[in-house]
Amino acid sequence: MNFPSEAFLRRAIAFVAALGIGVATYITIAESGGGSPACVAGGHGCATVAESEYSELAGINVSIFGIVGYVLILATAFLVSDAARLGGFALALGGFGFSIYLTYLEIWEIEAICQWCVASAVLMTILFVLSATRLIGYAGSDAPPGATEQLQN
Amino acid sequence: MSGKQERERRRQERMQTETKVGTEDRRKKLLQIGAGAAFLVVVVVVVGIVVASGGDDGGDASSIKDAALVDQELSGLEQDGLVLGDPNAPVELVEFGDLQCPVCKAASEEALPPLFEGAVAEGKAKISFRNFLIISEESEPAAAAAIAAGNQGRGWNFVELFYRNQGAEASGYVTDDFLTAVAKAAGVKDIAKWNQDRKSAKVTKEVKEGHEEALSIGLEGTPTFMVKGPNTNGLELIGSATSAGPLEDAIEAAG
Repeated sequence: MNFPSEAFLRRAIAFVAALGIGVATYITIAESGGGSPACVAGGHGCATVAESEYSELAGINVSIFGIVGYVLILATAFLVSDAARLGGFALALGGFGFSIYLTYLEIWEIEAICQWCVASAVLMTILFVLSATRLIGYAGSDAPPGATEQLQN
Repeated sequence: MSGKQERERRRQERMQTETKVGTEDRRKKLLQIGAGAAFLVVVVVVVGIVVASGGDDGGDASSIKDAALVDQELSGLEQDGLVLGDPNAPVELVEFGDLQCPVCKAASEEALPPLFEGAVAEGKAKISFRNFLIISEESEPAAAAAIAAGNQGRGWNFVELFYRNQGAEASGYVTDDFLTAVAKAAGVKDIAKWNQDRKSAKVTKEVKEGHEEALSIGLEGTPTFMVKGPNTNGLELIGSATSAGPLEDAIEAAG
């Protein structure tokens, strides 16, 4: 099976994770102080979701978990090792599972859709696919010399 | 090739094979860990969804919620049986509802609270709740329990609290335990009297009368709102309502 090169996968993961940090940070800032993110096409979906009991987990806004997850995934894109491949996959997998759970809550429990949450769920799904491809394609392969610097340059 | 060179070549080959085997082993192990993690996440997500869907189903006698909210919404409003507001208010808004009906729940949560603090608090209108039993036979004990709570001045607290804790239609949640839990949370003081009342012939007759009145008017569904006032010709049909607007307009026109 032909996989994209690991350098390409790492660049793609870094790019999508950076977008994710942007989205999650916007949601966190918008919701701080009792506000809610602006829904692009109007409607009150974001306000309903932000005000729901599910917007916090153990007293912490779920978007903060998002920021932490995306930052850690971004970090794994800069490293070339099996630990980074597995760690990145585990984080994206957890984020993907959490996104499925949150999307379920939006549709069936809160009965409102927030576009920003959908955007984050889509980004996390892409990250899951990319990091799974990276793990399956390159697990156990040795780090090529200077690979860490390649991405940074 | 000398013996020494031959030995070195074999050693190199052996090392390459060992490295390859080692790499394969590590790869296999990593993929196994990944697969295990994926399985774990699937389990956690499924459990999370089951817990979330189970927690909010309503109809749970052990966790009646929103009693304080209902108390606050109705505070300061007079109650006589299932009539809420000033008995001398010029306009009467009548709701024919079934306590098991989810659309009635929506009306109760969305459409009525603005009226409580508006037309009803201002003495312009009173609201009568009448039972129209359309969902299942479980609606009947629920209706009787509401009327019995009304005998102790907590009828509307019971109705509103029942709606906020409503379970799935005809799922068997309307048990004595559930009704008692709602009555207690609604502030019914004398539970023994309430128990006696709700099973009495008088209350059973009252339930039947409300239902028959709805049938005689020709109503087909719940919630159906009707209005009576100085400017109406008896009880006039408004229809179903999930927001306060149409009800406020009808009260205004009737008064």
